[in-house]
Amino acid sequence: MSERAILDLSRLHEIFEDDEAGIVELLELALGTGQRHVRQLREALGAGDAASVARAAHGIKGSASNIGALEVTRISAEIEERTRNAQLDGVTNLAAELEGAYATLGERVRSYRAEVL
Amino acid sequence: MNQVLVVDDHETNLKLYARVVTQIPGSSSNAFTSAKSALRWAETNDVSLVLVDQEMPELSGIDFIRAFRELRGRGDVPIIMITGTPDKEVRRSAVQSGASAFLTKPVDPVEFIALAQNFMVMHNLKRDALVRAENLQTQLRALQSVIDAKDAEVIETLERVMEVRDQRLADHCKRTALYAEAIARKLRIASQDVARIALAARVHDIGKLSIPDRTLLKPTRLSDAERRTVQGHPAAGAALFRERESPLLNLAAQIALGHHERLDGRGYPGGLKGEQIPYAARIVAVADAFSALTSQRPYREALSVGLALDEIERGAGDHFEPRIITALRDAMPEVLEARARYPDLASA
Repeated sequence: MSERAILDLSRLHEIFEDDEAGIVELLELALGTGQRHVRQLREALGAGDAASVARAAHGIKGSASNIGALEVTRISAEIEERTRNAQLDGVTNLAAELEGAYATLGERVRSYRAEVL
Repeated sequence: MNQVLVVDDHETNLKLYARVVTQIPGSSSNAFTSAKSALRWAETNDVSLVLVDQEMPELSGIDFIRAFRELRGRGDVPIIMITGTPDKEVRRSAVQSGASAFLTKPVDPVEFIALAQNFMVMHNLKRDALVRAENLQTQLRALQSVIDAKDAEVIETLERVMEVRDQRLADHCKRTALYAEAIARKLRIASQDVARIALAARVHDIGKLSIPDRTLLKPTRLSDAERRTVQGHPAAGAALFRERESPLLNLAAQIALGHHERLDGRGYPGGLKGEQIPYAARIVAVADAFSALTSQRPYREALSVGLALDEIERGAGDHFEPRIITALRDAMPEVLEARARYPDLASA
């Protein structure tokens, strides 16, 4: 998986210009809130509540797309699409993939931080 | 400073949108993760633009827009809704609720800034135009009150002429005007119009100054020629206000000319019927009759209030308008107070 597929910073650079610290701060905030939302998604999945899983996935997708977290966006979009139709098949695997994508994103953010600050 | 209200339950989005707002010159953002808190804030703070997410746990974006639009003075504030997908049904419903435009995530900052700037320019232009219109209205009202005061001076001057020539006539006019004012209030006429009737009625009989005393004060039956002279007083009075543009002086002319008309068309000078007679003149006709009947005349004694009301009642439908007679009865406390203030000198 290429780095670009994990995180596309072009939009954030457009918004924050040369404020790298601002970008790092936003990405770290996104990681923290993202973990919370993944927990909510996991809980809804455990309860077999497809509608709540869809809502959580939708929220994750929106935030992730805004910061350019491409892989998280892709996986959460897939979870949302499946669960909108009350389908929970294969979502457990996708949730694990999502956690993996967040872990990779976290590494990418840490290396970006080291690079710019 | 343009205040942009940003509402999204995801802090990351909120921070990002707020950052984009800082790139719009002259703008600052107020960001809320809670839609209900945002509504409370918007109740008391000026807002130039709203940016709201569609899917939120407390209130959906559509519900938020509905509630926001119901706040006082928030009907015209532009609202941009941010959606995760270009769902047409959601957008249709949002437009019906008052959304102005949409942006889809990921939000493109250039598109966002262009849209926000255009909306705020339009909103501010509209707001400024409204403020200018309100200022003009205020100036217009001030000018109108100056003109009204000048017109009132004309009426007061004519009233003084009557006082010098015939104090009893002037007092009758003052009483009639106060009665007409009280009746007009009971008829729930707009307060500005009541004030105009009250002023204009003060000179309703000024045309009587054209009648020689020997006719006006004659204790016996009038000859036909004398009756014609007396019946000329409405036109003589109205002629004083001819070709005047002022609403007050026009009303004075209408009242002077029309207060001896009767609903059945048997009045004078025009023989007008029903609604052909100006409303204010129909009111003054009742007030004038009550003042005249309760005053002593060269040819008869003053009637008591009760007998005068009975006499007027006999003319209901033919001479006088029944609901104006009812208003006179309803206004009796004010009428009696006015009568005490300007008693008929001959009856006193």
